[in-house]
Amino acid sequence: MNPSLKLALVILIALEVSFTQVWTVNVALIIISLILMFVGHVKWKRLLWLTVVPLFFASALVWSLALQGTTTHHFLIVIFTRMFVYVYMGGLFTQTTDPLTLTRSLEQNAKLPSKFAYGFLAAFNLMPKIQAEVATIKAAALMRGQVLHVWSPQLYFKVILAAMNWSDQLAAAMTSHGFVEGAPRTHAITVALRARDWWVFGIGLILVQVGLFIGLP
Amino acid sequence: MATVTVHSLTFTYPKRSRPVLDDLNVTFPSGKFSLLTGVSGGGKSTLLKLIAGLTPLPTAGSITFNDQPLAEIAPTKRAATVAMLFQEPSTQFTMDTVKNELRFALENQCVDPADIPAKITAALDFIGITDLQDRLLMQLSGGEQQKVALAIIVAMDSDVILLDEPFASIDPPTRLALLEKLVALCTKRGKTIILADHDLSNYDRWVDHLAVLDMGKLTLLSPADTQARFAAFTPDKLQLTHVVLPSDQPVSLQGTQLRLGHGERELLAPQDLALFAHQATLITGPNGSGKSTLFRALVRLGKYQGRLTYDGTDIQKLPRKQYARSVGLMFQAASSQFLNVTVAEELALSRKFGNRDYFTAERVQDLLAQLNLAEHTEQIIYSLSSGQQKKLQLLCMLIMAPTVLLLDEPLKGLDFASIQVVMHILTTVQRDLHLTLIMISHQLSGLDDLITLHLALADHHLTYKGAPA
Repeated sequence: MNPSLKLALVILIALEVSFTQVWTVNVALIIISLILMFVGHVKWKRLLWLTVVPLFFASALVWSLALQGTTTHHFLIVIFTRMFVYVYMGGLFTQTTDPLTLTRSLEQNAKLPSKFAYGFLAAFNLMPKIQAEVATIKAAALMRGQVLHVWSPQLYFKVILAAMNWSDQLAAAMTSHGFVEGAPRTHAITVALRARDWWVFGIGLILVQVGLFIGLP
Repeated sequence: MATVTVHSLTFTYPKRSRPVLDDLNVTFPSGKFSLLTGVSGGGKSTLLKLIAGLTPLPTAGSITFNDQPLAEIAPTKRAATVAMLFQEPSTQFTMDTVKNELRFALENQCVDPADIPAKITAALDFIGITDLQDRLLMQLSGGEQQKVALAIIVAMDSDVILLDEPFASIDPPTRLALLEKLVALCTKRGKTIILADHDLSNYDRWVDHLAVLDMGKLTLLSPADTQARFAAFTPDKLQLTHVVLPSDQPVSLQGTQLRLGHGERELLAPQDLALFAHQATLITGPNGSGKSTLFRALVRLGKYQGRLTYDGTDIQKLPRKQYARSVGLMFQAASSQFLNVTVAEELALSRKFGNRDYFTAERVQDLLAQLNLAEHTEQIIYSLSSGQQKKLQLLCMLIMAPTVLLLDEPLKGLDFASIQVVMHILTTVQRDLHLTLIMISHQLSGLDDLITLHLALADHHLTYKGAPA
């Protein structure tokens, strides 16, 4: 499916689910997301993480609400399943979408200014670099007799400094390879926006509306 | 074809009193190879960045291409006018793979999508790196990254090519290969090339006028003076007269069936490796062969297979804090080493935990003076030039005086005078404190007094070189 349309669909459904209380639709969305993730060959370990983390938070939330005693069982189930809908749909999107294709699609199909599209891509590409940088900073500090913990402000100072440095470097790199803000560009690879994508988008949205309509008390 | 003209350009960095470039006037002729040299911190990088349009000009129009300021050239034509190859190879890319970066650059120039694949192939062919096209940029070695960056400039067909010490971390054969490509671009395609370099070897055949940048002023030498400069510059030769094969010296670090690699790509085939205590060992080898990877493994920052021991104990079993104080690494990128803001703070941190008995306040002051850093103590580290950062970095790690100090390209980007000073300091401190130094360096001159052992990395194997003891 076209990445921009997929993103729009996921965001729209998430918004709707936030303002309605139909747990059957939530469960249906969870099952569909799970099936699609299986089809998309998402790794087992990833799936496990996507399950364990929200399970912890959802349980904690439901438990504290139940202790309060003012909420109905129906609402507790809705809250519990809603958490999973968010995480699974987010997981489905991130695990089955290539960031570069998304960038190209946002630029070409969603007409997002290329500055934002490539800014997003650069931020994404920065993630592994940040992890490596944190390890390097910690090691550099140890060699100088200083222990930096997760909560040490110095660690963040250095990471922010490094990130600022990267952003300058990235801006220079983009400029030197001909990128000019607001200037026209061509596209070596076009991301198609097919009729099929619109059909999936439309039918998906309609199904959720129908489900919500039937399920509403 | 484009002539670059600089008209009375004065440039001062914010919050500094002395201008880096002082009323500079120069013309870089079209289709010629211009070589720029000068001390570190002399303003070479600043000038190139101003020409490239990466730093905004103080007065528009002080730099022109064929009498036209860059700002007046259409945005999509700017990269076809001027492009720059950076000093730090890894920092010049936006995308993930070689091909995607080339596509990105060509898209920015509004090249018809139908023509893009052919242009990419032609550029990669010209540089001779077709086999790299689908590789991830971050997994390439520095030399390979510079080749890719040059291929992109070839694809963009830029008239003026600026290079800021592009060979600083590159081995001599790769340097020569890249230089030949550059000359071909100059003579066959009429490109104007402006290159900044400390190392003046191999330029004599191609450069008529050497441009020397010093104290903000630029002097263009006559052909005779230029040739005299080149002749006086003896190419770096690895002259190691004290090197012998290791005999029964005590071992500090020992690798057993040590293997290094990035995923499928093997860098070091499983081998046993001993690194000897109280010696100064030099490690040489081509770019990307795994020298830095070995250092990162030795300080537990990188993965390795096999076993590594320090004084007989597996390094993974030693407490991190204790081990980090025993085996220190001077990173190739100076900024990785620093933890504070000003030079004085950084030195104070080193003295707090380092060898204070040897590095007394007077000695540190004296060393700072020798390194030409004494006047910079209150300066913010990140505003120092790359050469100054490198010298400060070395001083900070020497003060820590770990039992084993690994030095990854400690002379990178230093001018000739600085190299002499740094090598003198390193040699003195090593003798006085009996440190174990292990050094990676592409800069080969001036090492003779210090180095006692030589490890060469070739064909995925590290071997000691030298005459039998």
